[in-house]
Formats: sequence, structure tokens, C-alpha cells
Amino acid sequence: MSRGSGGGYDRHITIFSPEGRLFQVEYAFKAVKAAGITSIGVRGKDSVCVVTQKKVPDKLLDQTSVTHLFPITKFLGLLATGMTADARTLVQQARNEAAEFRFRYGYEMPVDVLSKWIADKSQVYTQHAYMRPLGVVAMVLGIDEEKGPQLYKCDPAGHFYGHKATSAGSKEQEAINFLEKKMKNDPAFTYKETVQTAISALQSVLQEDFKATEIEVGVVKADDPVFQVLSTEEIDEHLTAISERD
Amino acid sequence: MGDSQYSFSLTTFSPSGKLVQIEHALTAVGSAANGVVIATEKKLPSILVDETSVQKIQYLTPNIGVVYSGMGPDFRVLVRKSRKQVEQYHRLYKEPIPVTQPVRETAAVMQEFTQSGGVRPFGVSLLVAGYDDNGPQLYQNAKTFLEKRYTDDMELDDAVHTAILTLKEGFEGQISGKNIEIGIIGTDKNFRVLTPAEIDDYLAEVE
Repeated sequence: MSRGSGGGYDRHITIFSPEGRLFQVEYAFKAVKAAGITSIGVRGKDSVCVVTQKKVPDKLLDQTSVTHLFPITKFLGLLATGMTADARTLVQQARNEAAEFRFRYGYEMPVDVLSKWIADKSQVYTQHAYMRPLGVVAMVLGIDEEKGPQLYKCDPAGHFYGHKATSAGSKEQEAINFLEKKMKNDPAFTYKETVQTAISALQSVLQEDFKATEIEVGVVKADDPVFQVLSTEEIDEHLTAISERD
Repeated sequence: MGDSQYSFSLTTFSPSGKLVQIEHALTAVGSAANGVVIATEKKLPSILVDETSVQKIQYLTPNIGVVYSGMGPDFRVLVRKSRKQVEQYHRLYKEPIPVTQPVRETAAVMQEFTQSGGVRPFGVSLLVAGYDDNGPQLYQNAKTFLEKRYTDDMELDDAVHTAILTLKEGFEGQISGKNIEIGIIGTDKNFRVLTPAEIDDYLAEVE
């Protein structure tokens, strides 16, 4: 039973338009951009770093409660770019799934397995009319026992890929262009280089120098595979190193 | 086998200049007297993507492989369903599933989604290659833009060369072991994805 022209509903729910497009999925991508934040992730030789802007719109808001960087387990982190409310529900489900995985199988959920799970869930929303896709792009990072540092990105369409470096949000394309140049010859960044590449990519793309309180940075290192959110002091050190270098 | 009930053509679109969601993929097939070859280009949205994290050719069983063109996420769903059905068959009959079965069941699922309420059809077309007691077999549900060449009666190696040449015709940029995938199944009845190094060897022979 073909749906013909979609009856105008092809924009309202995730069914195909006559040209074969899924408008709701496209709009989900736009929602990610509309959040007005850009995020960057870089994978080094033995570490992964993700950076995002921290925009606190109201002085009365408690800064520490505004975050897009979430630990999923002790060893896995997730950077959510886009609609904050959608991000929270995704994080909640991911945390649940990772904990169950650990209980069921007796070992920590690997980065790619979690990413696949997130992507498969997103795919369901693109195919079933009862729920809309989430307006979130998720970057998942961790150290894989066999493959080393891993950075995955999952989008509202249900795609997920491993990345050497990537970006999401309003200035995504500019950031990717910047990163492509930096990663051209497969450099093997040290931990410091990884963090500084990520931060300077964000600074270059947004054309502003940040204060440590204006960005959030999350890392995992092979020698200490715990997911860590850097403190303001640690961020400052890196910012200083970058400005001295330039 | 699944009918092409879709009257549109899947196009690539990039909302706000972003990631390609539907891959306009080139897929080629070759059939040898003693095996089957399927090959596909692996188009990645950026050089920043780690190509080892992506595999377009998937196993359903040790002797059946499948590749797609269209929407990756939809393909994953079908692979998962197929694998489960294959396991259930094995549990019941304790023997490897004939190639026609998963093809028929997957086609049934795809048809279901074109008819049920509240869901949209799958945006994929599949190529299933396998070897069972009836010999090497290849099944596909075609889409209008899927480019294919079908050849018969040759050795497996030649079939690989033919598949590569077919891909090369439509390929943009430099073809290498990193941006195509090749799956083969021969008389050993084991479906195997070639390593990038092996693909490079075949490419050198074709040059």
C-alpha cells in the first residue's frame, strides 16, 4: 500500500517524501545546529579529547548545572550536542544500557557497542511514526581494550562512525575543514597535542579566545582509561600553552 | 524475493551542508562457476572518519554474506533480524540455513514495513551471496539506480577482477583497498571479506 504523495504528512512524521527524503530526520539535524553550540572531538595516539562551548544564558543560573558532557560509566563519556532535554533522556538510557551490559556479560561495554546501540535506537525513531528523532548528535569516547582510544559519533539518522576527529553543532562544517587539514597525514598526537588541537580548533572556528569557564573538556587516556572532565585549572593550563605556542 | 514497491529514487541530500544520509553506492557482482563475489565502494563522508570502523559487507552466517546500497541504519536493522532468524532455524534443524530462506524472510519483513501503519519502508536494497548444497547463489532486490554487471562461468579470481573493473568504471577518485569492500564465497563454503591488503593485490593485478 504505497503512501503516494504523503498527503502532506511527510513533513510531520518520519515517512518518505516523493523524492525519497525523510524531512523529520533532516529537521532533527537542523535542531542540533539551532542549539547554537559547536563541539569538537579529537582522537590521539593514546587518548581522546572532546571539547564543547559552555554557554550559560542567564547569570542567575548555576553554572555547574549546565553541562553537555556526561559520564556514562566510569570509562565511557558522552558529549551531547543539540537539544539539552533530548540529550538527558539519551544519557539516561545509555547509562542504563551500559550498566546492564556490565551486569549481563561481566565486562565493560565497549565504545563501539554503546555507539551502535545508540544509533540503532535512533534508527527506530526514523522508521516508526510514534516517536520523533532526537535532536542530538552524540560523541562517545573511551579506551577500547583491543583497539585503543576510540571516538564515535552518532546522529539522529542512526548513522555512527568511528572518527579520528570530528565535530558537531552550528559550526560543524568549518570545524571539519579545519580538522581535515590537521589530520591529513595521520598524525599520532600525544595527550597534550590532542587536547590542544581540539581546543584550538574550537577557538579558530568560532574566532574567539576562550576563558576556562567558557568551555567544557572531557578526556580519556590509555594509561588511565577513566573518563575525566577537566577542571577549570587544567583547562587554563592548556589554554595558556596554546596562546604561548602561537 | 522482495518487489521494488518504491516508486521514488533515493537521492543523497545534505541538510545544512552536512553528513550524507543515504549512500548512493556502487555495488558490483560477479558469479564464478565455483563461487560468488560481491564488491562495493565504501564512501565515507570525510577523511576524518576511521574507515576500519565501518563495514558495509556483513555476515549472516559463515556461508552467507550480504551487502547493501541505500540507508546504512536500515541495513543494520535487517541484518540483525536476519541473523536472529538464521539462529532460530539452526536451533530447530541443527543444520546450516539454505541461502533462499533468509532472503525470503528478509523480503517478507521489508514488505511488512511497506504495508503496516505507523512505519515507513526500508530504504535499502540488498545483495545476498551464499553457498549451500545447491552451489553458489546470489540474490538481490534491485533498485533503479543500482548499477550491476552480471557475468557467468569463470574462475573466482576472474570474478573478483570483473567486479573490481565494474566498480572502477563508476568510481570517483583513487580506488584502493581502503575505499572498497569485497566479499567472496568459494567452494570452501565460507563467506569471507577480503582484507585491504588482499584487495590491493587484486587491484595491482587489474592495473
